[in-house]
Amino acid sequence: MIITPKELYDRISEFTVIDVRPEIQRSEFPMDGVDTIISKNGSIPNIEGLKVLVCQFGIVTEGMIIENELDDTYSLLGGAQAWIEFQSKKEDLSRWSRQTVLPEIGLDGQKKLMDGMVAIVGMGGLGCSAAQSLVTAGIGKLVLIDGDDVELSNLHRQMLHGEGDIGKKKVISAKESLSKINALTSIESIDVYLDEQYGLDLIQNCDVIIDATDNIETRQLIDRFSKESNIPMVYGGLYRWEGQVAVLNVNGSPGYNELFPEPPSGGDTCADAGVLGMLPNIIGNIQALEAVKLIIGIEPNLVGKLLMYDGMNHSTQIIKL
Amino acid sequence: MIKVTIKCFSQVKYAVGKDELNLELETGTSTLELENIIREKAKGKLDTVSLRIALNQKYIPIQTELKDGDEVAFIPPVQGG
Repeated sequence: MIITPKELYDRISEFTVIDVRPEIQRSEFPMDGVDTIISKNGSIPNIEGLKVLVCQFGIVTEGMIIENELDDTYSLLGGAQAWIEFQSKKEDLSRWSRQTVLPEIGLDGQKKLMDGMVAIVGMGGLGCSAAQSLVTAGIGKLVLIDGDDVELSNLHRQMLHGEGDIGKKKVISAKESLSKINALTSIESIDVYLDEQYGLDLIQNCDVIIDATDNIETRQLIDRFSKESNIPMVYGGLYRWEGQVAVLNVNGSPGYNELFPEPPSGGDTCADAGVLGMLPNIIGNIQALEAVKLIIGIEPNLVGKLLMYDGMNHSTQIIKL
Repeated sequence: MIKVTIKCFSQVKYAVGKDELNLELETGTSTLELENIIREKAKGKLDTVSLRIALNQKYIPIQTELKDGDEVAFIPPVQGG
């Protein structure tokens, strides 16, 4: 069983809190605001009533409870790290404890994500997948841009739309699904196709633009807006079993027009060439991953590089642009 | 003569029927000449497809003379999303 810092805070009088961390961690990261009993050598004191075990990140204690079949015992989700954050800011980040435990993310990275804003142009295969991953990761705000409606032939690859959504605007259907995943993310649905007239306004103030469209003309438009507004663009494209991802226009790094100089031609849409549903989900997730890296500032990344993935033989190739 | 490896992606792969080709070429052959050879092998299937060329995993903006052992990738734009 687990308990979040907020739940513990609200029900503090019901529990005995047992800190199982070594002394060096207890000294460096003290559990202020709660009386704790110290566990010696990892043993759990025999105490009646409900107990909460605390380790640094909430992972060790979950294992202890399962391994020792402990009754009436909870593990503090996110551990002391999440409790200390909750105590100081009254912000419960414990639901993201499995990613904040990563040294490259941490609480600072999570906060950057929660302050982050991403525009996704296209709410088809790539867009649904990227949006879902970003919302589950805790992104602060998403701007979804697409004028298309949900069709039956979309459902095999566009995971945010279901049978009951056919005929709805994709951005509305996507918002409904995403809101069930994480109510903390603010989602703005823009029910138009990106165009010359209003496009630049729509992506203003975003940290990243995810290109999840299905045509070269819109990719070129996104590239232009990306350059003009100095907002990085995470390009993704599909052809049958293959996908491409590149991070473009980061502090003067190559853009889509350098990747494929005008006027590029060729390349069918998913409707024309065919696509298996897993492919856009793989590529859309890689786009979301690169967006997270950009927002938090994690390297290495795909800035100035083109990743090509082949789902048939699972080969990848990275080309320097 | 020089030997080069050609990596074929997306439409190129389907047009030539292979994801990798190993070709023996005249010394002094350029990337542009190799592109024409690939387009001939594709028998018209790439006539409307623009291609970018990467030499040894790096984009090259202009035609370059190939060397023995080079790896050349032909990369078309892809639209699907």
